[in-house]
Amino acid sequence: MDVDLVELAKRRDRTSDNPSVDPVTAEVVRGALETVCFEMATYVSRTATTPILNQSNERNATILDARGRLAALSVGIPQFMLTSTLPVRFALDFLGPEEFREGDVFVANDPYHGGGHLPDYNVFAPIFADDHGTRRMVLIASIQCHHGDTGGGVPGGYNITASDLWGEGVRWPVIKVIDQGKERRDVLYALSANNRIPGYIGDLRAQIGAAQLAAQRLGVVLERYGATTVEESVDFMIDYAARRFREEVTSWPDGVYEADAYVDHDPLGNPDVHLHVKITVADDKIKIDYSGSDDRQELQAWSTFGNTRGYTVGQIAAMMDPEIPKNEGFFEQIELVVPPGCVLNPHPGKPVSAGTHHPGADVGEVIAVAMQHVLPDKAVPQTYKTGIPTIIVGDDPHTGLPFTDHSAEVYAGWCNAAKGMDAWGAQAASFGNLWKATAEINESLFPHIQWGRDYRIDSGGPGQWRGLCGSHYEKEVLVDAKVYTYVVGMKYPMPGICGGMPGAPNEMIIRYGSDDPYRVKHTADWVPVKAGDRIMYDYGGGGGWGDPLDREPQAVLDDVLDEYVSVERAEIDYGVVLTGLLDDLTLEIDEDATKKIRSERQARAGS
Amino acid sequence: MGYRVGVDVGGTFTDLICITPTGDVVLDKTPTTLENQSVGVMVGLGQLAEQFNLSREEFCSELDIFVHGTTTADNTMIEMNGAATGLLVTEGHRDEIEMRRVHKEKIWDPSYPAPTPIAKRRARIAIPERMDSTGSVLLSLDEEAVRVGTRRLRALGVESVAIMFLFSYVNPQHELRAAQIVREEFPDVAHISLSHDVMSRGPEFERVSTTLVNAYVAPRISSYIDQLKTSLLEAKYTGPLLIMQSTGGVMPPDYVAKRAVSLLGSGPTGGVMGSALAAQAADILDFVSVDMGGTSFDVCLVRGGRPEIKTDWNWRYRYYIGLPMVDVQSVGAGGGSIARVRQGALLVGPESAGSNPGPVCYQRGGIRPTVTDADAVLGYLPLTSFANGRMKLDVDGARAAIEREVAEPLKIDATEAAWGIERIVNSNMANETRRVLASHGADPRMLSMIAYGGNGAVHAWAIAQELGIKQVIIPKAAPAFSALGVLIADYVIDIVRAYVIPLAQIDLNRVESLIRDLHAEVDQEIAPLGLSSDDIDLGVYAQMCYPGQNFDMSVPLSSETKIEDATLIDLVERFHDQHEAERGFSFKAQAPILRGVRLAARGYTPKPDRLAEMGVVSDASKAQSGTRAAYFGDGFIDTPVYEGRQLGAGAKIAGPALIEEPFTVVVVPPGGNIVIDESGNYLLKLK
Repeated sequence: MDVDLVELAKRRDRTSDNPSVDPVTAEVVRGALETVCFEMATYVSRTATTPILNQSNERNATILDARGRLAALSVGIPQFMLTSTLPVRFALDFLGPEEFREGDVFVANDPYHGGGHLPDYNVFAPIFADDHGTRRMVLIASIQCHHGDTGGGVPGGYNITASDLWGEGVRWPVIKVIDQGKERRDVLYALSANNRIPGYIGDLRAQIGAAQLAAQRLGVVLERYGATTVEESVDFMIDYAARRFREEVTSWPDGVYEADAYVDHDPLGNPDVHLHVKITVADDKIKIDYSGSDDRQELQAWSTFGNTRGYTVGQIAAMMDPEIPKNEGFFEQIELVVPPGCVLNPHPGKPVSAGTHHPGADVGEVIAVAMQHVLPDKAVPQTYKTGIPTIIVGDDPHTGLPFTDHSAEVYAGWCNAAKGMDAWGAQAASFGNLWKATAEINESLFPHIQWGRDYRIDSGGPGQWRGLCGSHYEKEVLVDAKVYTYVVGMKYPMPGICGGMPGAPNEMIIRYGSDDPYRVKHTADWVPVKAGDRIMYDYGGGGGWGDPLDREPQAVLDDVLDEYVSVERAEIDYGVVLTGLLDDLTLEIDEDATKKIRSERQARAGS
Repeated sequence: MGYRVGVDVGGTFTDLICITPTGDVVLDKTPTTLENQSVGVMVGLGQLAEQFNLSREEFCSELDIFVHGTTTADNTMIEMNGAATGLLVTEGHRDEIEMRRVHKEKIWDPSYPAPTPIAKRRARIAIPERMDSTGSVLLSLDEEAVRVGTRRLRALGVESVAIMFLFSYVNPQHELRAAQIVREEFPDVAHISLSHDVMSRGPEFERVSTTLVNAYVAPRISSYIDQLKTSLLEAKYTGPLLIMQSTGGVMPPDYVAKRAVSLLGSGPTGGVMGSALAAQAADILDFVSVDMGGTSFDVCLVRGGRPEIKTDWNWRYRYYIGLPMVDVQSVGAGGGSIARVRQGALLVGPESAGSNPGPVCYQRGGIRPTVTDADAVLGYLPLTSFANGRMKLDVDGARAAIEREVAEPLKIDATEAAWGIERIVNSNMANETRRVLASHGADPRMLSMIAYGGNGAVHAWAIAQELGIKQVIIPKAAPAFSALGVLIADYVIDIVRAYVIPLAQIDLNRVESLIRDLHAEVDQEIAPLGLSSDDIDLGVYAQMCYPGQNFDMSVPLSSETKIEDATLIDLVERFHDQHEAERGFSFKAQAPILRGVRLAARGYTPKPDRLAEMGVVSDASKAQSGTRAAYFGDGFIDTPVYEGRQLGAGAKIAGPALIEEPFTVVVVPPGGNIVIDESGNYLLKLK
């Protein structure tokens, strides 16, 4: 009963054979479709009832044509954008277009039918228009959101030790929730019964409302321009994106580029999950081949094909002109080879809640590493070493109710430098739409105190441009509780690029500073904490770019003054010798000693 | 009654508007002097005086009131040349300002640089101290750390100090004590901003960002206001000086100097306030205001005659400003937006030729075709009498540039290409407008539009048509509309005192004492304004939310200080209802949280009867000056041209038509009908 995801993702024919739309109309229609996507996303934020949807921005709105080709989108997080097309394609193929009727709305969340992981719910609706006297489906509006629960063994959908997908939550390959405008109360009730969060159904309704809003708005657009013109405009935009994509690839040097990356271990402790990529650039074509990646079947780290494809495209998009429209024309230009059964395209039924992130996210890293020498100014991994969020459960004495704290707070980690630019902020650019919680929000909600999350000195990977420091995070729990998490990036931190050094590794200690500290080796499986215990997480730094010996000594001095780098590491990592004291601001560069130490090291490296 | 003057400083021009003792409305313009805006302001006052055959001193001594919109705060943030600023911050939270809650502006661009820091990390001093969310002290203030930190900031050359401690809005004691110590250690510090003072609520990133910006711009604002006061005094003006804030209200300098951050983004609000008045004159309460200039397009939704105020997610110049602001959204689309063809697709903007070199037809060295060039080619603009006759437009140059850059690559003719540029820029502006409306859940078809700015009158009809808006108002005073808005704005004071507690545990005595405090503070600020109590509106609100929400909702309380238990139950009900109405849902089963008490005071200022100088001709045909060939999508049409100056109230014109005003052209499309109302608005009805 599972589908061939590779087949599902394959290039689909355009709807118009010979589009004759003029470029101006095509551009006007493109603007209208992107605005509708924005309106869908905004509608969800305005009407969703739980913070994960109305405050975190984790939602993607898309419009597809009647064949399931992506026409336009409004993105929350780039890596998740593609898992929004394949579920629609599955529904089209499985039900057939005749089951798509005007006023219908569908729901889907299954990783082996095109989705990412189970908490990501897709809601989509067909859009109809008159065409020469008959009404037919022209477009499909889809909105995907991450929900706070999806049933299964662990609240939140991160049951990372489940041995199969069924243990992680409820699968909905495709179900119709609105049938020609009429709500299927039985179906919505079943959805609601399979979820722990009371607000879940309210959030799902927000998505349904967004899809219906899109249907209404797109109806007006279709009426105004006509079904054929809109379809031709979609094809024009897809062709345009494809031309821009190929233009970009043409400017990349032809060749075959390979790299390896590793995840420390899976949640069971199986070590060194291996990713291999071979990228072939030839003229205007690019092939990304993951053959050789890990295929140990006992592993518990599986990224479905749709998920792998999303992260792949997210990384490639970050390496191109940001202005290129992200539509089917962009995605279909990448020839993707992912052997069935490897960690990046698992056999159906394998659990995915850990693997969605790792090795899923690590795809960005392996691509950036492979391309660093041919695209030095663009090889910035858009990834993270998050494991899974740290989940803390207990009873809140003030409310008398149990609480689940997903630790969705701000911290800094894993942000690599780019050529010409030190890394900054908290995370890689592609997570810029996230909006994480703060101490003053979460301490009012959960019984804990956040003692700190400042940058930790010397944790940013040294380089000509410096990786971002990770942060030192310390949270005191005020009640007895239990902690559940999965930590990676201890053995394999963020890599340096083009001669830069790696960032500092992750490290997590539960009951930090107590007589009985628990250092997480791979997972924390409901580790008990007492009131007053602290949870410490030293988040890893980002990798540096270029040889640290090439960094301007003044920039190193500035980093020391700002306490991103210590006086000692300035000399050890950068070969910059400083005199004077930081405390009384008398630090100065010892030019002669710096020159000497740097030339000695360069000579040693050269020999 | 004497003269009243409003002055709005824009990027290029300083606009002035004067209401004379007899109620006439007089406009003037002078180039903006960016380095010290008061120089241009004084030049402008001199020009106005000349219009009345008075010396500047004579004029100023007959001035009743002087209202000012300044971009000094914005310019400080654009140039990032504010005061050297340091921060004292709760230990463990030193880097919130850099981490920005993970937000980055460009998710597709890993090379997009960091914002320029207001306080580098070395000037952010971690202070051991800590409150919990109820304001209880977990760790007492390390006073020695404050002393050592202050000395370090001095050594670093810091002039202005911001202090942000966690939960200071619940209990400000540590911030207040730290400020005392800073003054002891650093007696000549230029400015101290306390976070609970600048923004009396959480969360900490929003508050530290707002406080840092305040500390950074405050010394600049103070010195600018001092310069302006001195210049005005030299010119013999001794009356009140009022400054426009981003809330759309005005207040005296002493008030705004402490809250310098409230001036950020105040520029476009003048126009919005003016449009509210113009709309009111036409009995219109729900509308969208659009301001199209040379480089930017500003949109604001107004409902019930009040502009939407945005309290969250206000970013200005890459910093978060956690204060309520008139919600004006800006995109890069204007007369200077450049058209280009890329891989067979036509794109317009956001790149702009601005005013220098400007559009090709301005003949100032611009070579890339712009929207204004398309306007010229399509026949909308007067070629010989542009900009009040000061400029001649080179339409052949404009056509050649469009031919070369757009028409040839697309294999179409120049007119079609110009029309294509027009359609795309209009659809871009319509889409942006739709996005603004979407974020407030408003349907454009239920709204009117008010258009102003140099290019608003040219493009308004097309943007409105795209949105399904049937009525457009174009004020005659459009070119100096922001100055008018500044002049007629009301006094606004808006203060919040935090009190974070579940409603069930509320201490009513404390609420009452907070309300008394707020009244006392507002009284103190309002007394010097000399308003009669009839002219003051006071609103007291409970700031409430559901547990876990990031924003507050203002639920009206009676302005009486006495609160009964029954009021409280009623308050909960009204919060659920208001939440349902504004956000589309409510959680009746959840107990809301009180987050604070808010007092919003509005002091009304007198409004003029007319908003512009008007002509006397009510039979429009008498104001027709000729015809011009103009293009509306289906061949050039011989289009009548009218002299707007001559048209008086009641004049009616059917489209197609071009109505030339000194600084703009009102374009009436075929099928459109225009009439001039009593207060000097063009009312354009579209099919």
